[in-house]
Formats: sequence, structure tokens, C-alpha cells
Amino acid sequence: MTEDKFIKDLRDVIANGDEDQAAPAAQAAIDAGVNPGTLIKEAINGPMDEVGKSFQNGDIFLPELIMIGDAARVASDVILPYISVEEQDASSGGKVVIGTIQGDMHDIGKSIVSAYLMSTGFKVKDLGSDVTPKDFIRAAVDEKADVIAISTLLSTTQPLFANIVKTLVDSGQRDKVYVVVGGGPVTPEWAADIGADGYGRDAADAADLVRQVLTSGEKPPFAKPIVIGALKQ
Amino acid sequence: MNKPEIINILDRSQNGEYCTVKEWDIKRIPKAVKEKLEKYDLKGACDPENPVNMDAELADRFFKAGYEMALDLGMLCETTDRIIKVSKEELDAALEKAPSELTIGTGDDATVIKTRTPSDPYECKFGASLGITVSEDVWPALTEGIARQEAVDVLEGGSLKSIYGLDVIPDAPSETLVGFEQAKLHVEIRKKAGRPGMGGIGQISAVTEYGQFGGYGIPGALPITDLSLILFPSELKVNYQTLHKVVHTLNVGGMIFAGSPAMIGGMPGPPEGAVLSCIACALLQYPILQADVGGGEIYDIRYLSNVNRDGIWALSVTHQALSRNTNLLTHGIANQVSGPGTKELLYETLVGVSTIAASGAAFSTGPRSAGGKLDDYLSPLECGFCAEVSHAASGLSLEKVNEIAKAVLPKFEDSIKDPHIGKIVQDVYDLENFKAKPEWQQMYDEVKQEAIDLGLPL
Repeated sequence: MTEDKFIKDLRDVIANGDEDQAAPAAQAAIDAGVNPGTLIKEAINGPMDEVGKSFQNGDIFLPELIMIGDAARVASDVILPYISVEEQDASSGGKVVIGTIQGDMHDIGKSIVSAYLMSTGFKVKDLGSDVTPKDFIRAAVDEKADVIAISTLLSTTQPLFANIVKTLVDSGQRDKVYVVVGGGPVTPEWAADIGADGYGRDAADAADLVRQVLTSGEKPPFAKPIVIGALKQ
Repeated sequence: MNKPEIINILDRSQNGEYCTVKEWDIKRIPKAVKEKLEKYDLKGACDPENPVNMDAELADRFFKAGYEMALDLGMLCETTDRIIKVSKEELDAALEKAPSELTIGTGDDATVIKTRTPSDPYECKFGASLGITVSEDVWPALTEGIARQEAVDVLEGGSLKSIYGLDVIPDAPSETLVGFEQAKLHVEIRKKAGRPGMGGIGQISAVTEYGQFGGYGIPGALPITDLSLILFPSELKVNYQTLHKVVHTLNVGGMIFAGSPAMIGGMPGPPEGAVLSCIACALLQYPILQADVGGGEIYDIRYLSNVNRDGIWALSVTHQALSRNTNLLTHGIANQVSGPGTKELLYETLVGVSTIAASGAAFSTGPRSAGGKLDDYLSPLECGFCAEVSHAASGLSLEKVNEIAKAVLPKFEDSIKDPHIGKIVQDVYDLENFKAKPEWQQMYDEVKQEAIDLGLPL
């Protein structure tokens, strides 16, 4: 089988959202000597960009987006150990711990952001919904995350966002992790008030936001958050 | 000791079939939707050119498919990863037993909601507002302003952002406290507004069950002649928070007002899938949550709204399906995205609320001004307008409401994705004298006249 065929097979497995076949297909390509960096770029990142666009256009829906994102994550987990740390850094945008805040069971917006981040090369630890501030911080430490991404649909849960930032400050960890926020009731002004490093209005903004935060060259916390997608007065 | 009926449901929430949330979301729901859409030939039924469905046979087919889906799936308890299934006999018995008429409130101020059919002249009653967060200092006057809107039948009001200056945080004791304190204020405000027996909806300021424990059906709190609001996650999921609220409401002899939106673009996929999920969810609320008033809510995650063409179509089919085939007290919400002080908010209301009312819902609540996202972006004027539209549109034919929707949608649909958030209440409404400020009043007058010219008997 040619290198192109291995790449195509993995692309197809991911495009079908076949999580079970993603690892064997990735391993087969690696064993056949396909360059791991090329695999990431051509079999995972490229197709995932297309998937993001299809979702935006309403051509595919959330289950497909999540399944494809999961298949991409499984394949990445197989491939990344075969490439150098430098190359990994180049192909992985950084590690993000993401969740919906305590008291909020709405999972969908966060799941879309999570899939988008994975699709654009970030390693993502998805904590699910109803996540306590303590669990966000614990996961960020355990995973050595670069970014904590917090979401909510309920304005009544917003004080807990501030609690995460405050706890990071009080525990001397604020300079180790960026905090970005989003979701229905979250505004750029409020993100600034609580001392977050970034605000994204919708899922499509998230990958761009995280990339801008991580490539800013500045350590956290920022004097004011990076804002993508302000609200219209 | 008589065993309460809910015990069977609680048992299933602990011992039902095991299924992870992930499997439920990305496998079982999409698979069930796909099967039913194919079996009943419903794929591609959405007609954005005619956003209000006028095909009764189509609505009935959706009902059959949604009913079957309810029996096939049941609901998932996401706390325990257990499926709560119900048999056909249990579902039919619960639908039979559910009330077809309900009095909310007491005496002359009470509101009677009744089961309706499409274009039924009996009014689709309206409760305002949704639980938009409101600053503590603004909340009492704003809530009184809503209660003073004569057209508003039932008072919900916004959510208190804090209590005595303390932020209300999920799971914290501040939730139990805000439940009680808000209830006391709510009762006082109804008296001040001259409607002491007005029905209410609660608890809204706390997201967890603690608000209900502290503020509904206990001495000094909201009376059991109010509705106990019990929201739960989509798609077709409940959790222990939901079930705690149900048990508490049953314990105190209250009335359960349940709801959960089906998401267009989410797990059920296209608008047709969301309609199926919504019908299944609405039906299952009766055997599983023992609802008195149940939902038929739709949300389009691509727009965070449902006043777009797909959303309106899905709302119309869902409510026609439920009202034509059951005697339930079904409920719908128009999810606006524009804010107070914009004409778009009124146009979105006109299309969304009239669709729900003419399609046969018994009860509607709103508005979700500025998408319900921002503190204090809510005024009494749009609450009153929602209620006026709900009442006036109730007896209209589906053809007429479709005509109105087609005329009004072009006035706002391009801005749904990037809406004007408008202004906070103090900028558009005089909360001392309970009057809209001139600019906002003028917008209301103009849109109202446009609606009358289009044939809405306001």
C-alpha cells in the first residue's frame, strides 16, 4: 500500500467518525513508515477544518462533529508519541482543559467548542458539564494545561467563573494557566471584570481565541482579555 | 402506607438499563431520530418558505413518530447513567390522567389554562418573563412593572443576581436563601400591583433544587397555587436535580411545570429531528415527571434562538402535533435574541408568539429579551406585548399566521445571527411610574399598528 493510501484510509476513518478504527488505522500508517507529521497534517487537521465548515453550514450536526472529533483525538494519541517534542508543539496548539461550570448541565456549546479545538490541533481534556471550580483547577494542574476554558448558558452560574480566577490568584497559580471564557450570558466586559485572559462569542471563535492567547508571547494574566466577537449594541 | 407513584420512576433512575451520556447523545438519539424520520417519511419536511406549517396530516405523522420514539427511548438519568423507560400502558395512562384544565393563582386574579387545538379561540395564556438575571436593586420594581401589565396572565419575573449583596452560587446555601426571599418578595409584589391572587411560576433564581426547597410550597414561600418550574437537560435527559424538584413539588401538593428544549443542529440533527425529540420529550414528562403543564420547546443552536424560519416551522409542527393528538396543557417559548429598545425584539415576538398560540399551545412564557443573556436587559413593555400577541393570535388560522410570519421575518431575520442587544431596563422604562420611555413606547406603538394592519386583532 502506498503512503497516500494509508493517509486516505485514516482520513476516511476520521471522516466517518469511527473511533474504534482510528487507532488501528493510525498505527498501520505509522508501522508502514508514513511520516507522523504528515499524517497529522493531511489525515487529521485538514479534514477537521472541512468538518468545522460543514457544521457551520448545517450540513452535519453535533453527533457527527463529536464523533469525528473523538476519532481525530484517538488517532492523534497514537501518532504524537512518534514525533519529536518540537514537532508536537508545532502540530499541537497546546493543551486545553474545558468544561461547563457547576450548576449548568448544558453541554452542547461546550462540546462544539471542544470539537473545534480538537479539530484545529489542540489537545483537549473535556471535563463535561456541572464542573466545580476546584475540579477545573485540579484538572489544569494534573494535565499541565496551558488554558482553562469555561462555558455556561446560565447567567446565575457566572459568579463561579470569578471564583476560578480568584482561586488561581490566591493559590499562586494564576501565572501558569490562561483562562478563557464564553457562553450565552458571558460578555467581553464581564470577562475583563473577573480578570479572564480571553472571551469568545461562539464556538467558531474559540480556536482562534486560544491560538491568539497562546501565541501572544505574554504570560498570564493579561491586563485585559483578548476579545473575539463583541456584542452589537 | 401508600406507595407514591414516583417511586417506580426513582427505582428506574437507580436500576434501569445502563447507558452512558455519550452513548445516549451521539448514538441512541441520532439513531432513533433517523429511524423514525425514514419510517414516517419525514425527512426534508421543513419548508422555510412557509414557516408556519399548514399540513395537519404532516403534524399527525410527526406525532405518531414522536410517540413511538418516546416509547423506544425513554429518558436518561444522567446522574446515574440509567435509562428510565415507560411502557405503552404507562404512557397512555399518564396522558389520560394529565389535567386538561388548570387554575393558576386564586380568586378573581387567577388564570385558567385549558387544552387547545390549532386556531382555538380560547386564549393561549401567557406568563412573563423568563428568568433573565436582574440586579437586586432593580428586581422589585421591574417585577412589579411586569405584574402591572394587564395582559400578562401569570408572573414569573427575572432571576435575582444576588441576595443582600451576596452572589447566588449553584449548590451554595445562598440558593436556599434566595428561594425563600424571592418568594416573599414575589407575593408582596403581586399585592402592590393590585393582583394579589395572580398566579406565579417559581423558583427561578436558583438553578439547583435548593431554590425549590427554600421557596416553593413551604410556609411563607410561593403557594402551591403557583407552578413549580422544573427544567431539565436536553435531549430527553433528567438528573437528580430534576427529580429532587419533582419529589419536593409532589410532597407539598404543588403543580409541576416541566420543560426542556429540543435542539435543532444538536443531537437530533435537522429541524425534523428536533420536532420528533421535542414531541417525545413533551410526552415523557407526564409519566416520568408527573407534569401538569409540559413543554414543547425548540431551540436552534446555530442561532441560539427559534425565531428563525427553521425554528418557527419546528415550533408550529410540534404544537400542532401535540394539540391535535392529546389533551395536554402544552407550553411553548419564543426565544428572541434582540433586546429592549429595538423593533427587532417586537418583530421576533410577533412571529414567534403568534406561531405558538395559533398552533394550539395552552400556555406560553417569555420573553427572552436579548437572548436572556444579559443582566437587566428586560423591560415590562415587551412582556405585555408578548401576552397581547399570544391572546390575539390564538384564534387565527394557520394560513393567516403563516402570512404574518412571511411578512415580518424579512424585517429581522438577517440580524438573528448578530442581534442588537438593545438597552438595559432603566434606559427604556421608567420604573418609578411604570411607563415605557417615549422612544421605546413609540417603537411599540408602530409595531403594534403594523401587526394590526397585517390582520392580528390586537
